[in-house]
Amino acid sequence: MRAKNYFLLTPIFLLFSCNSDKLPVYGNKTVVVKTENGKQTVDSIDYVLPDFAYVDQDSNVVSSASMSNKIFVTEFFFTSCPSICPKMQAQMLRVYEKHKDNPDVQILAFTIDPVRDTVAKLKAYEKKLGIESSKWHLLTGNKDSIYNLAEKFLVSAAEDPDAPGGYVHSGSFILTDKQRRLRGYYDGTKEESVQKLLDELDVLLKEK
Amino acid sequence: MNKKKVIQYLAPFAIVGIVIVFVLNFITHGSIQHPGKSTYQSRCAQCHGDHGEGIRTLTPPLIHADLPVQQFDSLACWIKYGMNHPIKVNGVDYDQPMYPNDIDEIQTANVINYMCKEFLEHDTSVNSIWVKEKWKTCK
Repeated sequence: MRAKNYFLLTPIFLLFSCNSDKLPVYGNKTVVVKTENGKQTVDSIDYVLPDFAYVDQDSNVVSSASMSNKIFVTEFFFTSCPSICPKMQAQMLRVYEKHKDNPDVQILAFTIDPVRDTVAKLKAYEKKLGIESSKWHLLTGNKDSIYNLAEKFLVSAAEDPDAPGGYVHSGSFILTDKQRRLRGYYDGTKEESVQKLLDELDVLLKEK
Repeated sequence: MNKKKVIQYLAPFAIVGIVIVFVLNFITHGSIQHPGKSTYQSRCAQCHGDHGEGIRTLTPPLIHADLPVQQFDSLACWIKYGMNHPIKVNGVDYDQPMYPNDIDEIQTANVINYMCKEFLEHDTSVNSIWVKEKWKTCK
């Protein structure tokens, strides 16, 4: 009797294990009602990051078009950030080192202090981190546009004179898939959370 | 009366429980933690690393670092007021602002002693009086 019970549970376990292989898709779905041949069908479309275009440390334009068919990990930072950024960069270096030779994976780091973080400043920061601009893009642009983009990534970034360095921002690393869908949020200041990112990035790379 | 009996019965279990917690704590922590360690981890480690390794050429290492030993008398000021000028550590240039730390003289002395013991191989121990004296000389 007992053995039979376990046998019955197997399909349930299989179901769960299948589910855990697939990463969630974040953001609100859009419901679309279509009428075809007089028949109404209701479909839901996943949230997709809108188009964007910014300039990196080599003055190259990095856009949603140049990131098409790439998995990318995104962070918001600023070069003079005294608090959580150095730790975030130490953790992002783990992502960088692991996927240095994989052209499918890119890193986007948007400055939330574009007035001070000029292209030249970002280039100097790149040298300090010892990274390749073709893999880890340090991006600047219009301030409001960057803050707006942070919102589209469903994270926060804002000026705050009381915060260390003058800005508050989320320390999140955001995982985005090849269809520009948001697939994971991780705490960029925590080693265990970034390990989860590395694991889930591997899952995403295998996703068809 | 009944209550007393219950307490009498449970007391040995409680004592054994407390002893187990102590023993486990000792096993997991190895020994008593250095008093500067928690300050180091909350204030310094995010830039200088948990093991004093620094981050590439963004933030300097503390492990086997020459500058903090050469300019030992400036350490207390750097920790309190931060630093905003380029420096050279073990022959490498660094130019990232170090931010001030709002910690008292006892915490500062503890964290300097922790760094000396863990990273700098500098056989010195300072106290809060030394820190206060150094703070008077900060520019």
